[in-house]
Amino acid sequence: MEHTQADTIIGADVNVKGNLKNKGSIQINGTVEGEIRSEEDITVGESASVTGPVVAKNILISGKVNGTIEATEKLEIDPTGVVQGDIKTKILIVREGANFNGTTSMAGGDTKVAHVVPTVESEAAKEDDDKKDPSKAGFWDKNKK
Amino acid sequence: MYYYIFDIKKFGKKSQVDTLKEYLAELGITGEFTYINSAQTAEDLAVLGLKKGYSTIVGVGSDDVANSISNVLIGQKEAMGLIPIGASPELEELIGVTGWKEAAESLRFRRIKDIFLGQTATGTHFLTNIYLDIKNTFEVTLEFKDYMVTAKARSLMISNFNPGVKKIGSEFLDVILESEIENKGGLISNLKNIFGSKEVKANYSIIRARSLRIFTKKPLPLLLYGKTIAKTPQLVECSDDKLRLIVSKNSPAEE
Repeated sequence: MEHTQADTIIGADVNVKGNLKNKGSIQINGTVEGEIRSEEDITVGESASVTGPVVAKNILISGKVNGTIEATEKLEIDPTGVVQGDIKTKILIVREGANFNGTTSMAGGDTKVAHVVPTVESEAAKEDDDKKDPSKAGFWDKNKK
Repeated sequence: MYYYIFDIKKFGKKSQVDTLKEYLAELGITGEFTYINSAQTAEDLAVLGLKKGYSTIVGVGSDDVANSISNVLIGQKEAMGLIPIGASPELEELIGVTGWKEAAESLRFRRIKDIFLGQTATGTHFLTNIYLDIKNTFEVTLEFKDYMVTAKARSLMISNFNPGVKKIGSEFLDVILESEIENKGGLISNLKNIFGSKEVKANYSIIRARSLRIFTKKPLPLLLYGKTIAKTPQLVECSDDKLRLIVSKNSPAEE
């Protein structure tokens, strides 16, 4: 996502509670408990922590998000990004080192995955899920029971 | 005809007042000259000017005179002019002039912009900025329509017009909060700027809103050009009515 001047900026060590909705772009460097919604771009900075849904045209995650994310155009998760929640987008970019736990729904006619790099965390999470699912349990697991 | 309200204290010498009057006469925009005194405030004189039927009331002085007259003229059909003497750079920038001569010249052309003002619940209007008088870091809660913001603030400014802040809509106030950062480990270095081309520090917040309530643990003064106009807790909002302000062609003020 191209870095442009954000209309609303929430600074580091600033806490927001409630629903932050804006027509213009939003940059979060602090803590937000609630929904963040923009008709343009949302950037969740490295020092930011968001608990709640994030909805915008383009979204860049460099900090922590615990909630659903819906980007009508593009979602990028940076190496420092930690996402715990389901995501819905047309274009998804997950950079090496990013931590993502949730389901992905890709919508739209010209859907494409631009670049997905699986991480150690996401592979480990997948293995954990497989272990929990009895139908996917391996020979060793079955014998252990 | 123009009705002038002079804040004589802003002039170093009486001869400077005479020089200004002569220049106004040269420009063909002379009128009735009145002076703020212990018995009559700028607001009293502005009310008097309206009663006398003047269509243009001109404040000659600094920001407090401008704000006082705007309290009377907001929502009225009569226009307000300004000749800044000892005023803030923001006020000069708002009307698009540098110095009293340019301001006087702009009055002659009577180019009017209808602008919103900021206002407090105490009924005081402001053209440019008000700020919280914080000497040390202080915990501040800002209540907006759908959310609340809390922070340990180093400074808080509520701006109706500030040349350093990109305005996104004339009906919004810009709230600029400088917070104290406790954990400096996760700062973002590549923030693009809200104040022109310089980089914005990560402890700056900027929020656009039509209104907000300011809460602090202890009542703190809200200052307008160094003068206390209200104390917290306080409602600050964008005015419903507009002021008809005479500006130069260089004014960035938005209607």
